[in-house]
Amino acid sequence: MLISRRIEPSSNANHGWALPLIWGVLLAAAVLGMPYLESVFRWLEPDARQVIYRRAEFSTLLGRHLLVVGVAAAVTILVGVLAGIAVTRKRGQDFLPLVGQLASLGQTFPPVAVLALAVPTLGFGTLPIIVALMLYGLLPIVRNTLAGLQGVSTDIKQAALAMGMTPWQVLHRVELPLAAPVILAGVRTSVTINIATAALGATVGASNLGDPIIAGIVNGNMAYVVQGALLIALLALTVDSLFDAYQQTLRSRLSAS
Amino acid sequence: MPLTDALPIAKLNQRTWHPNAVLLSLSLVMLAVIWLLNPVSVAPNRIVPGTSYHLLDAVGWFGALLISLLISALVALALLPTRANYRAMLALVIVMLLLMPFGLMVASHWLVDPGLPQARLSIGAASWSLLFILLLCLVELRLRLGLSRLATTLLLSCVGVVWWLSASLWLQNMALVQEFQAREQQFWRATLQHIQLVSMAVGVSVVAGLLLAMLMRRYAKLQKIAFSLLNFLQTIPSIALFGLLLAPLAWVAANIPFLAQLGVSGIGTTPALIALIAYSLLPMVRNTYIALEEVSSDTLEAAKAMGMRSSQRFWQVRFPLALPVLLEGVRVTTVQAVGLTAVAALIGAGGLGTFIFQGLGQAAMDMVLLGAIPILLLALVVDASLGALADALRPGGHE
Repeated sequence: MLISRRIEPSSNANHGWALPLIWGVLLAAAVLGMPYLESVFRWLEPDARQVIYRRAEFSTLLGRHLLVVGVAAAVTILVGVLAGIAVTRKRGQDFLPLVGQLASLGQTFPPVAVLALAVPTLGFGTLPIIVALMLYGLLPIVRNTLAGLQGVSTDIKQAALAMGMTPWQVLHRVELPLAAPVILAGVRTSVTINIATAALGATVGASNLGDPIIAGIVNGNMAYVVQGALLIALLALTVDSLFDAYQQTLRSRLSAS
Repeated sequence: MPLTDALPIAKLNQRTWHPNAVLLSLSLVMLAVIWLLNPVSVAPNRIVPGTSYHLLDAVGWFGALLISLLISALVALALLPTRANYRAMLALVIVMLLLMPFGLMVASHWLVDPGLPQARLSIGAASWSLLFILLLCLVELRLRLGLSRLATTLLLSCVGVVWWLSASLWLQNMALVQEFQAREQQFWRATLQHIQLVSMAVGVSVVAGLLLAMLMRRYAKLQKIAFSLLNFLQTIPSIALFGLLLAPLAWVAANIPFLAQLGVSGIGTTPALIALIAYSLLPMVRNTYIALEEVSSDTLEAAKAMGMRSSQRFWQVRFPLALPVLLEGVRVTTVQAVGLTAVAALIGAGGLGTFIFQGLGQAAMDMVLLGAIPILLLALVVDASLGALADALRPGGHE
């Protein structure tokens, strides 16, 4: 697990929830205030007929983007964590090596290729992008669930069993809470990657924040590109910092208790 | 010895009969898939969606019976998993993989009208699923038999050669083959371009990553700033970064003619390379830093006690010991770059992504596959070969 480790800044200052709030406010301001920035974008693209993307409201695009990522994330978290739990139980043990191999192998699949392979079978629109996001987002979650559950020491589990806990109680009172930070790190990777990948959905006919970028690249209108890119970057930073803040509270709760 | 080991434990799971549940369920799914889904579809030309055909129409009763028998044999063998039976299952899986192009040949012979030169056979859902499940079986068998990475790679390359031969010799009606033949030169050029872009980006980021990591070890303050900056960059979606680089570079190209002569422009290779390097830096720097930091201090102290100078300690002890982890970073970075370069096609950088986006634009799905499949293969090959290299360089042999 050497690779997936994040290096934390040496002085781990607890930002708390301030950072996600700042990014969130910036995101909201950008979504609502974009039409008023016409003069700025006019300076960027003086010759274009139109400098503000108007094919759809930015708030609608943001909503669709969040919907696609949210649906995919909900399904992946459910399926991924359940699969991770299933193969670490006694009955599902047979499947553990295969699932473990798949989860590490799946990391090598480029998201674009997954998306491109989903389109021929599912057609254009929102469905292929959701399926591609699910497939792609599943692997980090499964991998981290496995790593988290396997990282719980057998001594602790035996102690819990010896205390008279049922296997179910051991799972949801001991194993899952201890594995939670690692699982959450997997969810964070999965969702952050998916926010970026969802933008590619605009190339297969799904309408979301990738739309202005693709339209801008196709028409050579930089202002569109900047608008789309700015919003996606702000969204990614908001969500990522949310996870970061949540991880910090989780970690401090674990070390405190 | 822990006390629990000394206790007489009633072995709950001591069943005399223990079938391999994984292979059993995989082969049952295979049976269901080939009978319920359609293995091929035929279209009169490249744009019109094709009509799907059932297994019975595609390969006839005889073929359907043959493949069902092969899968049933797999089921039977999975019920009694001895080592000999695992070997037999491996042989069966390989035979099925080898038979797939022949099944397609039979299907194209029966279903494709020779009077229509544009008519084409596409691979349907059942065939893709069959292929996928067979590869899963192969992974499972490899783990059970303890086959080395090299042996599996050799087996798969044999299968690949047979597929390539049958595709180029007999499967002229297959859509993928037609797409390939229509733009063969373009395909090889795009592949070369893809590899060039990836290797340039990775090459630059390896050197820059090493320098940055060495600087970071010296100046602790730099470490904090650099890592937060790189983490921040990584959060920005690739497509957005590619897009954002278009504007400033276009401005530079328009206003500084010298740089424009060097090939800097808003669209094309330059912004793609810059974005690729920016993305590759984080995994590279992170791994290089960890690799250099994790060399045990005992070893370094021993080297110091032996009278090695500081530079000797770095180049003769620290660096060689860090090399496997460093290569692990190169592997992750390169695999990521292979995927990102595909996105770079959107801003005109070329590479295999061109086929994906052109195909999506023209609603020609086979062209999309022509781009996506080589990218997937490229990523897998890079992953396997760099992984093997890191294994070989690990001090003390293989793990």
